[in-house]
Amino acid sequence: MNSKLMIDIGSTYFKVAREGEIEQYFRDFNRNIFDDLSGKCADLLKACRPEDIHICSSANGGLSTLIIGLTNSFSLKYAINIAFNSGINIIDTVLYPKIEQEPVPTEMIDVVIVVGGIDSVENVFDEKLPAYLEKVNYQNIVYVGTKKSVPFLQEHIENLVVLENVISDKLKIREEALKTYLTDLYQADIMGKEDIKQLYGITVNQIFSTPYIVNRSLSRISEHMDVADPFIVVDIGGATTDIHYSRDLVNDNILTDSGYDRLVFKKLGVFKSRESLVHTAKNNEFVFELLEHLNVTENILEEYSEKATRTLMQLAIFLVLYKVSKHHASYIELNLEILNSIVLTGGITKVLTQEEVDDIVLFFYRKILHFHHAPKILLDHNYEIWTYGIKE
Amino acid sequence: MKVVTGVVGNDIHVVANRLIDISLEERGFEVFNLGVNTYLEEFMDAVIETDADVLLISSLNGEAEGWCRDLKILKSQYDFRDVVFMIGGNLGVGEMDPELIVPKFRNYGFDLVFHQVDLNEGLDRLEATLEARK
Ligand code: B12
Repeated sequence: MNSKLMIDIGSTYFKVAREGEIEQYFRDFNRNIFDDLSGKCADLLKACRPEDIHICSSANGGLSTLIIGLTNSFSLKYAINIAFNSGINIIDTVLYPKIEQEPVPTEMIDVVIVVGGIDSVENVFDEKLPAYLEKVNYQNIVYVGTKKSVPFLQEHIENLVVLENVISDKLKIREEALKTYLTDLYQADIMGKEDIKQLYGITVNQIFSTPYIVNRSLSRISEHMDVADPFIVVDIGGATTDIHYSRDLVNDNILTDSGYDRLVFKKLGVFKSRESLVHTAKNNEFVFELLEHLNVTENILEEYSEKATRTLMQLAIFLVLYKVSKHHASYIELNLEILNSIVLTGGITKVLTQEEVDDIVLFFYRKILHFHHAPKILLDHNYEIWTYGIKE
Repeated sequence: MKVVTGVVGNDIHVVANRLIDISLEERGFEVFNLGVNTYLEEFMDAVIETDADVLLISSLNGEAEGWCRDLKILKSQYDFRDVVFMIGGNLGVGEMDPELIVPKFRNYGFDLVFHQVDLNEGLDRLEATLEARK
């Protein structure tokens, strides 16, 4: 048997795909991931060679990052963009010119990214940076700013990794070096986690983070689904919600090779982040009208029932669209007016029907954008989009 | 010398922007062209990231006033040393008194203001200003 075996380890279940067939298993939290997987899929694993087994995982939570950058529009924006596309979920930022007033994160940071200036610029960073870092609890630090500051920083910061500047001489984004560094660091993080580490016993391939793989799959979606560019993929999870979008939907200075970017809403999820989802919903001026439209009352938000979960999922779709629309100033604004398709993936596709998602998206387009029609919505019923990203 | 340029606000008139890019290159400037639809904050950030000597904003559709009013505030948030701030194009809308336009924009914090002035004349003035500052 030489076909590929693809495995996606999630926080609540894992999925195994072979020759287009996808099986889903709930995780048994009394066993570690490796034992659980080898127990449930013993025959399959035995039948496949380690070079044919490909694994991605979102189970280890991912890396937490702190990005220190010179400006919002370039340094920070570029580094955030690369970090999201590398599958990172947790990002804090510090605007360097204001570093003395910025709060110091209290939790442990996996990686600090420092960025600023095109290569010809001098004197960007000074003593303020080492003074701030002194107070931060971090494990890795990488520098991707102007070359001219390297000697100063190397002298003052221990174990500094220096990579190619993410800002090109023409002020455009250059993502490769930092992206590779971050995905490698993710792998190293996995190696450090006892229960995932054992997975390297069954595969010789690099284990990537699931969002990174999903992002990689976007250029291939049209081979499998009837999507029309520009499109977005929304993955509403238990803790976070991911949105992957065609670059044609943004009007800014970033030019990436991939053509697709990712954005994460840390606090929008229907299980672990349920509370903050409800909080965000209650603060949204359109939500009461939406609840009325769905024929439910506000009380549903406090209930724990199947119906409440459905409503929360519908709210999550609405809020995600709202947060990237021009009505909400945030890191990125998508031109939803020209959107052609929306692909929904994740657990939501098992719960909501096509009519329910069509209804909610149409509500958004009518109410917020004053449109009479909405983009075409596709449900990734098998939850198989990630498998396109693994295929070479 | 480095120049950051582009068209401010929700302004899509691109022809002058292309000409400005070419003319500046021909005069030996290193150009960072942010193109049309650029916000004032992005211009300022680009000046910081490139350590530019000149910020040359153009505005054609008549909305310059609304988009550039906050220049002073943004200038006060960072040490821009001796950057030359310059703006040109169609800076007013229809009935506005042209006599008032230049002082108004100078008051916003622009060093050089060109309302409906030919590009080459404006660039000659820029070079003279830079020469005088040496
Ligand atoms: C082509 C054009 C369009 C095209 C633009 C296509 C494109 N993507 O570029 C379209 C049809 C899309 C358009 C739309 C609009 N337009 Co129009 N458009 C013109 C037009 C006819 C020509 C502009 C042009 O390209 N000229 C050629 C270039 C080379 O000249 P220029 O732009 O004037 O630039 C020169 C100088 O201004 C100067 N310059 C420019 N920047 C700077 C900077 C410095 C520092 C210096 C020194 C010099 C300088 O140098 C250039 C070369 O000498 C002008 C009228 C005209 N004849 O000028 C109106 C005009 C610019 N448009 C105008 C308007 C109002 C609009 C709209 C708002 C119309 C509407 N109601 O929808 C929209 C705005 C859209 C938007 N969001 O910006 C007005 C602006 C009025 C004002 N400022 O008082 C004008 C002047 C027409 C008019 N008389 O009413 N427009």
